[in-house]
Amino acid sequence: MSVQTADSAVVMRGIVKTFSGVRALDHVDLEVRTGEIHGLVGKNGAGKSTLVSILSGFYPPNEGEITCGGKTVSAVGPDQAKGLGIAIVPQQVHVVSGLSIAENVFCGELPLTRLGFVDWRRIRREAMEQLALINIDIDIDRTVESLSVSERQMIDIARAFSRDAHVIILDEPTASLPKDEVKMLFGFVREMCKRGVSFIYISHFLEEVFELCDRVTVLRNSRVVGHFDVSELDVRRLVQLISGQDIARFGRKRREAHERPILEIEDVTRPGAYEKVSFTVHAGEIVGLSGLEGSGKSELVRGLFGLQPMGEGAVRVDGRPYRAKAPEEALAQGVAYLPRDRYGLGIVPVRSVAENVGLCVLRKVTNRLGFISRKVERPLVEGYVDMLQIKISNLDQELQFLSGGNQQKVVFAKLAATKPQVLLLEEPTQGVDIQAKEEILRIVVSMAGDGVAVVVVSDVIDELLDICDRILVMHRGVMVAEFDPDDQGTSGADIMLAIEGNLAPR
Amino acid sequence: MKKNRMPILLLLIDNLIWVILVVVVALFSIFNSRYLTEPNLVDILVTASVLGILVVGQTFVLITGNFDLSAEGVVGLSAGIAVWLQGAAGQPTFGSGWHVNVVFAFVALFAVGAATGTINGFLITKVKMNNFIVTLAMMIVLEGMLPALSTGSTMSGAPASFNWLGTATIGTFPICGIVLIITFVGAHLVLKHRPFGRDLYAIGGNPQAAFASGINPNRRVYQAYIISGILAAFAGLILEGQVQSVPADLGNGMIFMVFAAAVIGGISLQGGRGNIIGAFGGVLLLAAITDGLNLLAVDVYFTSIIEGLIILAAVFLDTQKTRLHRIVEGKRAIQALHDAAMAAGEAVAIPPL
Repeated sequence: MSVQTADSAVVMRGIVKTFSGVRALDHVDLEVRTGEIHGLVGKNGAGKSTLVSILSGFYPPNEGEITCGGKTVSAVGPDQAKGLGIAIVPQQVHVVSGLSIAENVFCGELPLTRLGFVDWRRIRREAMEQLALINIDIDIDRTVESLSVSERQMIDIARAFSRDAHVIILDEPTASLPKDEVKMLFGFVREMCKRGVSFIYISHFLEEVFELCDRVTVLRNSRVVGHFDVSELDVRRLVQLISGQDIARFGRKRREAHERPILEIEDVTRPGAYEKVSFTVHAGEIVGLSGLEGSGKSELVRGLFGLQPMGEGAVRVDGRPYRAKAPEEALAQGVAYLPRDRYGLGIVPVRSVAENVGLCVLRKVTNRLGFISRKVERPLVEGYVDMLQIKISNLDQELQFLSGGNQQKVVFAKLAATKPQVLLLEEPTQGVDIQAKEEILRIVVSMAGDGVAVVVVSDVIDELLDICDRILVMHRGVMVAEFDPDDQGTSGADIMLAIEGNLAPR
Repeated sequence: MKKNRMPILLLLIDNLIWVILVVVVALFSIFNSRYLTEPNLVDILVTASVLGILVVGQTFVLITGNFDLSAEGVVGLSAGIAVWLQGAAGQPTFGSGWHVNVVFAFVALFAVGAATGTINGFLITKVKMNNFIVTLAMMIVLEGMLPALSTGSTMSGAPASFNWLGTATIGTFPICGIVLIITFVGAHLVLKHRPFGRDLYAIGGNPQAAFASGINPNRRVYQAYIISGILAAFAGLILEGQVQSVPADLGNGMIFMVFAAAVIGGISLQGGRGNIIGAFGGVLLLAAITDGLNLLAVDVYFTSIIEGLIILAAVFLDTQKTRLHRIVEGKRAIQALHDAAMAAGEAVAIPPL
């Protein structure tokens, strides 16, 4: 156990956090020195967000202590983070877009005159001083709406600075930034460091970590893998640390050859999202599709399903020309889609299991008079509930009362009921428990076994390696690599490198 | 797992509206011996008929998570136009109408409702205007059009065939009561047992998920507004028959009772929840209360105060119902998890990234 030294800005020691019995953080340590930019990296679900959420007081840890500004506490209270000088700049920047920049810098604590009115002169003067102090040259009377994303982030950082924050957490700040704005933001962050502010920098873009950070902490499976000086690492080593070495295979028996092409995509292009993407998925084949956020992988499947415009290019489903302007049309042509956002797009939480399972196929279970036939509907729903082992007390139970894993299985049942030829899955195991994860992967494999062409969009490389016949990688809208999980030379680290945009010499 | 066994507690909670109805009827019959007599029960049914048909139309819209305030405007204007077309007594602005055939009058009546629903649906689903404001404005417009047509006078003089639905009886049983029951049964079948109804619930519960499941939410919401408009015109027809005339404010103010009945009956204003049978209970309860207070000769101002308070009390009980429901369902869900011996915990609370 290290003792906080004079140059530590914040020290977290032995942090444990469990959610309903699942360890999200397991004795995690983190030390950020004064004036350093400290990278925090790991796969989705490794615990990065949980750790910074604890640091910024969103929730208390189960164990561990936090030392900051000379004070040691067991938990940062929701209102304490500000007092301790900790601030977070989230991915979606918390600015009030209709207000002026000056107002945003002070938002939440507008200084008042003696009469209790807002002291506008003081706000404008001090906002101008704040921005001058940190070398931002923006007219403070502009509304925030008129700013670019990076400018907004800088305003947010300025706001944190105006409240005497000396540890500022940046959560994926560059995910939606064009390159020149990234440069601007980095320059700004370095400038702030010289003034003694420390940064915790979370990013999936590893090249940025090398460019910006002094030290880096790697998290994997809720534990710390290690703390490193960036100078002692290279990209390949970092990817290995992030992904881990051992990859457990699902042990799926793959078919020798998939002959019948079901989903054929040819030169599909939507400017700004993806460019000249071509691939074919055969009957019974599972193709993994991975890439960073914004690589075009999600946009592609959503475009195919008609949730977004698909753009130019030729698509065929089982030999027939295919195009869907809405999900309705996609489903009618045998294409089903499992959304990443289960609560937003997947389920109707206030309706029953039966209604949710039947949602896509209602029209096919009606009798001659157009009424839904209970005699057809109930056995259909029960069949899927049994087959997918969905744990419910009765078919009329509302979906909101089910666990995440069972909700996800209901979505699978809904899709399976449409008897699709093509199944597009986006992050199928996100937000479900470990046991359900395995069951869901089994469902995917068994649906492929019935001759469905499956595309799995996922960040979880281990799972893709387990179940896929091929893994495709997209980077900045372009298909950049294809991997064969059966090839002995294929490793998770290679795929991670490709995802990062660094193609391994093969 | 497959058996649908509801614990008694849950059954009572779910049917709370009927429990309240029985209590209210019992109380009134204690205070006034005439309350539980046949003529009075017929009165209750007649009161319930117009309100009930409006509630059915409103329920279609409410289930999708929208409002239709314009329904009460349709009641007056549709009846007004139909009566005027047949040659109304009174001082209508454009002379005393065209003396058209009663069949054409019916067509015109429903056309007013359908047109209103179409305009509402267009502005809300295509132009993406706020449904509350659109239908509020529409209500104000319609309620201005009726006195503009009738110069503020009461129009009357429609033939008996036009007034038949509101006035006729079989023995002592009013036709409008039968119409009410048929409307509710029909709505129940459509909402619960037809894909259309299931679509409406799904849209109200989660419009994006409904869209991603192959439903066209805009089309369905459009249709719900047209249904609401047509049923409001139907309610206007019956009300005109009951009062045998069209005063310049026919239907005005009814929408509050419509909402009260629907919400008391368990229709969620957020959409996606509630069934038409509960709404029927809400209609009967309000009609029973209005009639009871009338029978007890309670001063009209106090009637309004008491009705308002009873609505508050019923909705309060309804929120408690949801809370109790959550507790009971939650316990059952946990029980189900234990039954399944789920060893692994849940990771749903972990935010992504």
